[in-house]
Amino acid sequence: MESMEALVAHIEALSAIPEELPHLHSLLKQSEDALRSQGPGLAPLLLHQLDPSKHSLGYLYILEAYLSGPISSDQAGGFLLSVVDFINSCSGDQIRLAPDKFIQVCKRLKDQVMQLQVPLQGVALRTAIRKLQTSSEQLTTIHSDFLLLCILAKSYKTGLSILEDDILEVDQPRDLFLYYYYGGIIYIGLKRFRTALECLHNVVTAPMTTLNAIAVEAYKKYILVSLILNGQVPSFPKYTSSTAQRNLKNHTQPYIDLSACYASGKYSDLEAFIQSNVEKFQSDNNLGLVKQVLSSLYKRNIQRLTQTYLTLSLQDIANAVQLKTPKEAEMHVLRMIQDGEIFATINQKDGMVSFHEDPEQYKTCEMAEHIDSTIQRLMALSKKLRSIDEQISCDPAYVSKIGRERPKFDFDDFDSVPHRFI
Amino acid sequence: MDLSQLHDALASKSYDKVADLCDELLLHVASTGVSYHEEWPYAIHLLGHLYVNDLDSARFLWKSIPQGVKESRPELVAVWKIGQCLWTRDYAGVYGALRGFEWSPLVVGIINAFSENYTKRMFQLLTNAYSTISVADVAHFMGMSEEDATKYVLQHGWSLDLSSQMFTVKKPKIITDQKLDPSKLQRLTEYVFHLEH
Repeated sequence: MESMEALVAHIEALSAIPEELPHLHSLLKQSEDALRSQGPGLAPLLLHQLDPSKHSLGYLYILEAYLSGPISSDQAGGFLLSVVDFINSCSGDQIRLAPDKFIQVCKRLKDQVMQLQVPLQGVALRTAIRKLQTSSEQLTTIHSDFLLLCILAKSYKTGLSILEDDILEVDQPRDLFLYYYYGGIIYIGLKRFRTALECLHNVVTAPMTTLNAIAVEAYKKYILVSLILNGQVPSFPKYTSSTAQRNLKNHTQPYIDLSACYASGKYSDLEAFIQSNVEKFQSDNNLGLVKQVLSSLYKRNIQRLTQTYLTLSLQDIANAVQLKTPKEAEMHVLRMIQDGEIFATINQKDGMVSFHEDPEQYKTCEMAEHIDSTIQRLMALSKKLRSIDEQISCDPAYVSKIGRERPKFDFDDFDSVPHRFI
Repeated sequence: MDLSQLHDALASKSYDKVADLCDELLLHVASTGVSYHEEWPYAIHLLGHLYVNDLDSARFLWKSIPQGVKESRPELVAVWKIGQCLWTRDYAGVYGALRGFEWSPLVVGIINAFSENYTKRMFQLLTNAYSTISVADVAHFMGMSEEDATKYVLQHGWSLDLSSQMFTVKKPKIITDQKLDPSKLQRLTEYVFHLEH
């Protein structure tokens, strides 16, 4: 065991030479116990001697040892600053040698800012994610922590920078569940329901052997967002785990009933149903979303009218969707035109509304660009998929397992003459 | 707290950048751990979101402001009043909220720009949504007197039927670019290649 002074000297000497970093890393590992026992007392002094940007690996070890002890409340402010400073200035190459330690430090930061109720101060985690990742396709444990802090700080837009990456590499299932669950909440908050639904869909259909609370909560929101967006809840796709298919509905009964009630299309019925189940929705923190489901019913019903009629009087619309006055119906229609949800023109002189087809003809440059970029994304995805498929089929473990499961003497192997010739 | 970037943006009237700029600055200030609530220009930040029509972000920002700050700043409350009217689609209320406060020199520029923008947006909406509309309603939606509103829309080619006091809306022809350049052809070739392999 080395003395702390010697360790600091090593850190200072070895950090600058990339080839020596593994050596330094093993030295640090050996001193872990010593750091833990003496660290909390000595750390502030030691950290002072090091430069977080140059000696990131050593700094990380000492910081982590320091944090493993309790932090008093008057130290907390200074602690947050030093961690944020470290995250902002550390070298990504060095900290990726000890990802577990780095994640520990980030977790501590998250816990502290939540305890002090200053979640916005924890957004440095965004930098931490970028430094920890080897590519933007990789999901880290810190992703979900960062999104949680964004939600708590009501800084939803900040979360988008992380959510817009396509995630293709996942290590821990829990990370994935939480990432998409929080992602769903953020998109719901920003009223981007289509993307929110995609996120929640990923949670619900992710492989799982036992049911988890995240999936249940996600399914509740999935039902509500589906109703707002499409007016109905789709059945589970084939690739959903059987655990989810069997159990999710049992845990979300009020929501299933809600969607059944929605399907009847009667505003007053739906309102009464929500009234009688208000505590359940309230305790799930979904009441706001449920209310949006209710108000989307007007929209849905008006949209349904556009499929049947070319022109309709405002009075008839009001009657059909249970609105009190033609003026109210006019305001609803106006609102939907503003949001691009229907294509129509209101004729005040005759009190009529005429509905139109979607004017998009898919031949403008913008649309061509849009289609182009979508095709390119899909091509990239299909390439990725093929390479993963090849990788798996070359994996010795997979090949030997498949070989064992196939019956040794396949009937077809001996049947050399195809049936049609017999 | 260094707000010089923000002041530059305001001075150069690039109001569409204000929201993003404020978001980033706020994150930066918050991460240094100093207490910022008292000094942060919330009114400008909120207006920045409203200017780019990002009501959701405006609403979340408002929710995150401590109660004490809200109570001590009447201008901030007045800005939020605009946000509330937009949120509830109280189209005419927005004009009331805009005119109902003596704005400080710092925000008056962005307020005026927002107001101008909003009038344009409302006119666009009316053009889209109506084929005929009463004079009174146009004045209501545009926040103008009936004479001013009439003058405004007649300039844009609408016509007035005096007997029924109704405007007939003239929809402008939308011209979109439909030209394709040769690079598209190249890309199409790549797609076909991809599909066949």
